Amino acid sequence: METKTVTVIGATGTMGSNVAGIFASFGNAKVYCVGRDIEKVKKTLPRIVKSVRADAIAENLIPADLSMLESCVFDSNLIFESSAENMEVKAGIARRVGQAMKKTAVSCTGTSGLSITDLAGCYPKKLRERFFGVHMFNPPYNMPLCEVTPTIYSDRTVLDELKTYLKDVLFRTVVEVKDSPAFLGNRIGFQFINEALQYADRYKDNGGIDYIDAILGSFTGRAMAPLTTSDFVGLDVHKAIVDNIYQHTQDHVHETFLLPMFFRKLLSEKKLGRKTGGGLYQLIRYENGLKRQTVYDINTETYRDVIPYVFPFEDKMKKYLAEGDYAKAFGQLVKNRSQEAEICVSFLLKYIVYALYATKEVGYSIEAADDVMAAGFNWCPPLAMFQAFSTATDVSALIRERLPDICAKVDIDRLLMDIEPSKYDYRIYFKSGR
Amino acid sequence: MDRKVYILGGAQTDFERNWTKEGKNMLALLKEVTADGLDGAGLSFDDVRELKREDRVACFVGNFIAEKYTEQGHLGALLTEVDPVFYGVPSARYEAACASGSVAIDAAQTKIQTGDYDVAIVIGWELMKTVDSKVGGDFLGRAAFYDKESKGIDLPFPKLFGRLADETIRKYGVNEERYMDSLAQIAVTNYANAKRNPLSQTRKWFMSLEQAKMRGTETNPYIGGRLAASDCSQVTDGAAVVVLASERFVKERYIKEKPILKGYGHRVAPMLFDKKMQEQQGSRYILPWTRQAVLDAYRRSGLSVEEIDVFETHDCFTSSEYAAISAFGLTEPGREYEAVESGMIALGGTKPINPSGGLIGCGHPVGASGVRMFLDLYKQVMGIAGRYQVMGAENAMMLNIGGSATTNYTFVVGRPKKREEDVG
Repeated sequence: METKTVTVIGATGTMGSNVAGIFASFGNAKVYCVGRDIEKVKKTLPRIVKSVRADAIAENLIPADLSMLESCVFDSNLIFESSAENMEVKAGIARRVGQAMKKTAVSCTGTSGLSITDLAGCYPKKLRERFFGVHMFNPPYNMPLCEVTPTIYSDRTVLDELKTYLKDVLFRTVVEVKDSPAFLGNRIGFQFINEALQYADRYKDNGGIDYIDAILGSFTGRAMAPLTTSDFVGLDVHKAIVDNIYQHTQDHVHETFLLPMFFRKLLSEKKLGRKTGGGLYQLIRYENGLKRQTVYDINTETYRDVIPYVFPFEDKMKKYLAEGDYAKAFGQLVKNRSQEAEICVSFLLKYIVYALYATKEVGYSIEAADDVMAAGFNWCPPLAMFQAFSTATDVSALIRERLPDICAKVDIDRLLMDIEPSKYDYRIYFKSGR
Repeated sequence: MDRKVYILGGAQTDFERNWTKEGKNMLALLKEVTADGLDGAGLSFDDVRELKREDRVACFVGNFIAEKYTEQGHLGALLTEVDPVFYGVPSARYEAACASGSVAIDAAQTKIQTGDYDVAIVIGWELMKTVDSKVGGDFLGRAAFYDKESKGIDLPFPKLFGRLADETIRKYGVNEERYMDSLAQIAVTNYANAKRNPLSQTRKWFMSLEQAKMRGTETNPYIGGRLAASDCSQVTDGAAVVVLASERFVKERYIKEKPILKGYGHRVAPMLFDKKMQEQQGSRYILPWTRQAVLDAYRRSGLSVEEIDVFETHDCFTSSEYAAISAFGLTEPGREYEAVESGMIALGGTKPINPSGGLIGCGHPVGASGVRMFLDLYKQVMGIAGRYQVMGAENAMMLNIGGSATTNYTFVVGRPKKREEDVG
């Protein structure tokens, strides 16, 4: 597959700019960085260079605006569209790209949830076979996951060439997924995050957001607690993902994709998270350089200091983790029957079960679930999570004991048959400390 | 090498990990690597218990300067906190700056040779991300003569190896651009190899020849003299284990197809860099004692450079790997650039150096590096190095240095059969 020249559309956006950096560095491609405003694109270029820590790629980046789209596309071997997450906008661009691209070129959309098949339909019939979903995660320099989605029109040979390029040249962790809402990583990840959000609402008298984040913090196998993650990616992006899944899927956790009222209120007030200076959390910076982390209190609808929760089970787990005693840490987690420990265990077990379920629906192998969660979220992937629990207990029995409602809804025996040793090491994901 | 010393296997930690960020201490590091290392060697904690009863096992810990990074000394005895199985096992810490891992291996192999023990567990480790790079750089300055070469100097080691680059250019009159481009290519080869190593620190990082040549830019700033960030090895948390065994043990357990240690070299050069440079004026080699350590290993193993299929070297900086090329005998001294330019030392070349990615690509937890290299020689000779395997490797050599090439350690690991044929 020829990839000397690439066009990235939407190059001033977070994903677009970072992906342009990946093509220009690992791909060593000449990259047309197309945005609405060429001056804004020019200002983005230093950020692209920084995203891959390489001044050497600066000469590969060529700023352009939408009026130059056709000429950029015509000159390109690969087109990557990373425009606003809106069907009309993306369809409009797809039609323009379809008219301008060479017959030998490949076109991709970076959409995180819109139908790839519908977008393929915007291309001339002959070119539909050369159009794919290529969904990367932020920031791609650290998160190598790349979900690739073919459609009913796709040419298998082109698809294989594209996957090889992404894997061997761009060093992506490539997972082929079906054209299903939010694909696989976000389906699993945002099920967890959104249910955590619902629990924050349910346990608002215990503290709510920071209470749940304290229960599901980095000691549970992730770099960032789930609601902090939502705040980081943006409440609007979170909403787009879960609404899409809620509207277009129907499974045993359907209701966990609903947004709680307080979250809708924050959205309506444009409190979209870190990028707008406040959302679920708000970092207050003082003139003297001091910083204070505050959190949205659901009951009082104001921001207050984050509570430094100390749960006995968590405290003990962290002490064990600090000294590398993983079996003892998980033993403590399973044995402790406090409300917090039970919530924690149920979330981690539900995560395993839903990953097994979703990967059957959206992926092609059980390893896919592990790849997406490790390489896209930096969370202990589900099979590795199963192994982690296995150091202390019979996990299948624990699932039956702790998740009776879910076991009544899914064929748990069938799902657990897919369990196999993970290629990921669970130990690196469970952290001690805040 | 009178008696055979077998290498049963071992393990290394994932060098990408930052144990301070994970909130884990040295015990966590040691528990993981010990369990994985014994497993990799086909041994269990019960085996160690049984061997201990018969006084047949000992531990050798390589570490440079945990007293500074983690406020902990007495590191041999510390293993008793890793697992009670080590109660009663003879264990001590060995130190020779960045060659600490090698001096631990050397002590271990000696004890196997003498017949005192049948199994020797060698553990090299260093946790370096407990402090920032400036403080860490000062700690590492103790590998030079601290009072005269490091005290009050920011990052003394890059500066010393920057001077090695200057002296190399001066000694051989090599074209400066050609030399610096060779150093850039050395960095790029190490980064490229590291992408094939699932436990390397830089496996996700981007590096290209253009980037390595763009020294003095924001993303590749000068660190020491003419050396930039791309010319430097990494600050790394990590540990590695190898398990050595006697012939008696291997026969008793019906262990087959394990490589043996064929030879070693150990030479100490003048501590002060200035004195090294004065002394080398009488030699064709810029680092004559490094060269001598290589010759010693060739002599002891009965092998020559032609018979070595793969090398792991101490690329703490690109200028040290450059000097190692002629020290190994791959080129005449002063013509090292030929081996770089021809692709000889790249993976896929005739004499690959650092298929693992080396200290630049794989990472450099100083006390662990010697053991990690030795483990990589084992993997290459066993044919289990995965995507960085050098096909058909029968004999492998490593060079591990401490300080400014002050302590020089070399080992040759290979398949036993081949050696018998050679000697026979």
